[in-house]
Amino acid sequence: MTQARYLLRNQEIEDIDQFEVYRAHGGYDALKKALAEFEPEAVVDLVKRSGLRGRGGAGFPTGVKWGFLPKDGRPRYLVVNSDEAEPGTFKDRELIERNPHQLIEGMIISSFAIQARQAYIYCRGEFLRGYEQLSRAVQEAYAAGFLGDNILDSGFALDIFVYRGAGAYICGEESALLESLEGRRGNPRLKPPFPAVAGLYGMPTIVNNVETIANVPPIVTLGAEWYTSMGTEKSPGLKIMSVSGKVNRPGNYEIPLATPLRALIDDYAGGMQPGRSVKCVIPGGSSVPLLMPDQLDTPLDYESVLQAGSMLGSGGCIVLDDTVCIVKASHRLVKFYREESCGKCTPCREGTYWMADVLERVEAGMGDEGDLAILMDVADNINGKCFCPLGDASIGFLVSAIRHFRDEFEAHVREHSCPMGEKVYDTANY
Amino acid sequence: MIRLTIDGQEISVPEGMMIADAAARLGIEVPVYCYHEALGPLGACRMCLVQVEKMPKLATACTTAVAEGMVVHTQGAAVDKGRKGVLEFLLINHPLDCPVCDKGGECFLQDYTFRYGPPAGRFEEPKIQKVKDGPINEFVLIDQERCVLCQRCVRFMEEYVGEPQLLLEGRGVETVVSTVEHRPAQSQFAGNVVDLCPVGALLATPYHHKARPWNIERQESVCPLCPVGCTTLNTGRDGRIVRVEGRPVLDRNWGWLCDRGRFGFDFAVSPDRLTVSRLQGHDEAAARATRQVGQWLEQVVGQYGPDSVAFVIGGLHTSEEAHQLYRFATEVVGTSRLAMSRQVQGYLPRGLNGTFEDIAAADAVVLVGTDPYEAVPVVHLKLRERWRQQRDLKLFGVAPRTLGRETLPVDTLITHVGHEAHVLAQALARVVPDHPAVAQLAIQGDSGFDDAATLAQLGQALVNSEHLTLLWDGVEPEVESVLIALATVRGAKVTRVLPTWGPSNWRGLERGGFPARLEALTQILKDARDGKVQMLVLWGADLLREYPDAQLVQEVYQTVPYIIGEGLFLPLGSESMRAFLPEASPGEMAGTYINMEARVQTLTPSVQPPGQARPTRSYLNAWAHSLKKSFVAEDDWDPFDDESGDLLPVEAIPATIAPLSPVSQPSGEMELATGVLVMENGIPSELLRSRKPQALARLSPVDAQRLGLSAQGMVRVARNGEELRVAVTVDQAMTPGRIYIPLGVPSCPVNKIGTGVVEVARLEEVHSA
Repeated sequence: MTQARYLLRNQEIEDIDQFEVYRAHGGYDALKKALAEFEPEAVVDLVKRSGLRGRGGAGFPTGVKWGFLPKDGRPRYLVVNSDEAEPGTFKDRELIERNPHQLIEGMIISSFAIQARQAYIYCRGEFLRGYEQLSRAVQEAYAAGFLGDNILDSGFALDIFVYRGAGAYICGEESALLESLEGRRGNPRLKPPFPAVAGLYGMPTIVNNVETIANVPPIVTLGAEWYTSMGTEKSPGLKIMSVSGKVNRPGNYEIPLATPLRALIDDYAGGMQPGRSVKCVIPGGSSVPLLMPDQLDTPLDYESVLQAGSMLGSGGCIVLDDTVCIVKASHRLVKFYREESCGKCTPCREGTYWMADVLERVEAGMGDEGDLAILMDVADNINGKCFCPLGDASIGFLVSAIRHFRDEFEAHVREHSCPMGEKVYDTANY
Repeated sequence: MIRLTIDGQEISVPEGMMIADAAARLGIEVPVYCYHEALGPLGACRMCLVQVEKMPKLATACTTAVAEGMVVHTQGAAVDKGRKGVLEFLLINHPLDCPVCDKGGECFLQDYTFRYGPPAGRFEEPKIQKVKDGPINEFVLIDQERCVLCQRCVRFMEEYVGEPQLLLEGRGVETVVSTVEHRPAQSQFAGNVVDLCPVGALLATPYHHKARPWNIERQESVCPLCPVGCTTLNTGRDGRIVRVEGRPVLDRNWGWLCDRGRFGFDFAVSPDRLTVSRLQGHDEAAARATRQVGQWLEQVVGQYGPDSVAFVIGGLHTSEEAHQLYRFATEVVGTSRLAMSRQVQGYLPRGLNGTFEDIAAADAVVLVGTDPYEAVPVVHLKLRERWRQQRDLKLFGVAPRTLGRETLPVDTLITHVGHEAHVLAQALARVVPDHPAVAQLAIQGDSGFDDAATLAQLGQALVNSEHLTLLWDGVEPEVESVLIALATVRGAKVTRVLPTWGPSNWRGLERGGFPARLEALTQILKDARDGKVQMLVLWGADLLREYPDAQLVQEVYQTVPYIIGEGLFLPLGSESMRAFLPEASPGEMAGTYINMEARVQTLTPSVQPPGQARPTRSYLNAWAHSLKKSFVAEDDWDPFDDESGDLLPVEAIPATIAPLSPVSQPSGEMELATGVLVMENGIPSELLRSRKPQALARLSPVDAQRLGLSAQGMVRVARNGEELRVAVTVDQAMTPGRIYIPLGVPSCPVNKIGTGVVEVARLEEVHSA
């Protein structure tokens, strides 16, 4: 597929992570335009009209979120969530490592829109390269006069701080991120109050995902109508999908929303590897229920995927092929959540531990007949009873897997071994 | 007000209240672990799940605020399953060691599991293993396996107390409660985490493996160790108190204790406690000793008349004992010589006495001489709670040393020793110089305090605040006059004072009939020195430790032929006493204590008095017999008042304002300052030995350097030819030119030399071979 890139411009333009290259290809022109031609409110309005929705997973309309800030004269903060740690999702990583200036530019415009004087990037601890790239890009933007006092003689001033997390999935949850940014233990906060009212250091704060903010410069340059010309009415614009699994060309793809899942796999990612077929697909990162092969024509927009029984989430599209053991996959994912549960609330902390142990036992052929019922009941005792979405995320895949592949789970118990065992381990490039 | 329905019952509650609290008002139990009203909502344990109509999921009652027309169900299939699920989760990694757990039988995990939990567990996987019986400090153990991670302890220390010494370590199911850098949590409020812990994770070391709940009874009582009078639950076992817990009183206190009160209960079994009668310097049978004293009493009264006998009360006696002694002295003996021995010279008229509600409502607080953190610790927590609610609370201190600390910032006006009254009056005069009450103070002299801006700020707070609450340590007696002037100036605006001195029940002793002012005691001592007193009965009073002029007391002890002592511990100068009788301690008898709020609170005994220790009335009955007079100690006297309930009757504020003595700037290099500290109040505790400071005295770094002292050392403090030798520590909070030694420490009685200008010299340390 050859199509113009607006976010992953690095896939078209070599070395766009370099300041000069970014500038030579129109970089920071959107900022100049915004500062010269727009009032802050007008930028908020533009983003509202574009219909841009949060790309971190929840899909909340960005402009509406910005509109929640109370107008009470307190300092405001923009915090960019770059704590991308959802298994199967790696889009923000590419953006900050390969095209960091677009994020910086988007942050300056967004900060101008919400009238923040300080902005933070909370970078996942393991993203050392991304952290270095962001730090360099911020320095270059300062040197060029795009950051600091009186940016481009507009009177607007902004400082950006790049903060490196310590490696916790939970810190991708916005309130845990703010706790961590304040130097505290990364545990989610009680809501309300929401960050827009009382966020970083108790001040009104907007927390946006990297990809969300990276959408802002092209929207400013090309207009809201350009954005709404793509996708659907409720899900307009572009989305980066991270495709992994046994496809021919795994990677990040920038697609207009509502592109069918089949097109993403076959056209963008080059189809399945020879001899492999789709067993099921996780369309939106490890936290969402799976889609079956007969659902491959589902358009990838927020509403359609929801209707199909899953969620578009962060766009981490994991294609599981027919060699994958569904119990092992479930165990692998639940174990992730067991490791990453912050421990604050009981159902998530204890439930993930319990489920991971049971799944490990079933996969090892030591399951017994009651295990499936226990798993479903434990999942039910987690469902909707946790403090933050992490608990619910831990059961999304498992519950759908048991629903669709009950036979395979039962076979593990019945045969006291993994029926898929050999296939999994002898794959050539596992 | 918000109207809502819970389980079919309608209720109106203030906006912002959580469902859990609204349900509690209806008497509906919503089980909780992490939620505590004093700490605010957290939402961690998920135990309090309830069904709210029109909400898609179960809601946590502790984090969901009430809303108009809300319909809540705390029961039903969904709620029951939710609770079962949470309890099952809490139990999967919880060890089944209830049979050896101190909390077994008084544990919320047991109780809720019994009431709401699943009948059997389904978890068959290995449990996570964690540290058992690890230390939090020398008094608190942690069993991390039993912990349900409700975070009450961590949040209490970090947010409520402001001393973040506990934390969560690790993540997910490996999370544990631990101490910062694995150092002992040294806060004097750390013991409260034992009460806060809903399960058997945090345990009191002194009570570890001591008893089972069905072996013991917890008696509602009051801590006697400082004038706060914290409400407690005392556990007695095998004749001794083995545990003291905080006892919350609805809408009044949260049940916090300081470690001094929580672990200081062992004074009653201290090896220093006297449990045998002493007669002429020897141990004696109780009956013989009592009879002998009775005979002396009869002889003295017969020979010299009733007024030759003087009674001085003090120590830990209850109000009832004071009243019995008062009746015995006045009705049976017929003497008018009654007095009380207190730690300090100052006196607070009842009319000015405030309650803790005056802290909760204050917009300005002034600490006169006292640092509540060290003198009345739980009041420090009350002040901090108020300050956290209202960050613009004005907090001033007037004292010879800094009173503020990180957890409670105070603007302290550092005065010369003995100048508190003068500086307060200066501040008052700055704002209302022409007020007649200020004129009556007759402010004269130079206090050396000339920071006009600070004085004006204090003056503004004193005069213009809506609700002014003062805490006073009573060391500088002329402050009383300024307080009366202040109340006069403020008129209708609330002015309340909380006295922070001891003995804890001095108001109760006063209520019992003994005059509390120092003048009464001074008169008796002077009369005694002049030979007008033949028998001096010291009922719990330790004059050499407490009376400001130790010289006078020494003379009295040489002069009076019959000195009869009674108390828990042998006082200083006991060799001058003809007899010394062992006293029953507050945990060993029923009675009342009246605290610094002038509030009457009831003590319930947990154990019998040990050995020959007796309550007051036993002695009095015997002596009445010797005097051949009838005396019935039990009567219908009741310290409670019909009108004012558990507070003492309100009295008018005195009208006369005594003029202040003129002050002048001290001539010497160093001044000795003093005050009442709860750790050093003379009541021994083996358990708390590690918490007692190594060095009694405190010096500023500047003075320490001048004297050539390192972090610690010995000094000689001299005045008027008398001297004290005392270990000193360097304290950053001390002001140069002051040395601080707490009042009433038997090994270093400040009253031997008195406060004011002193000479301080370093003593070479003598190292033993």
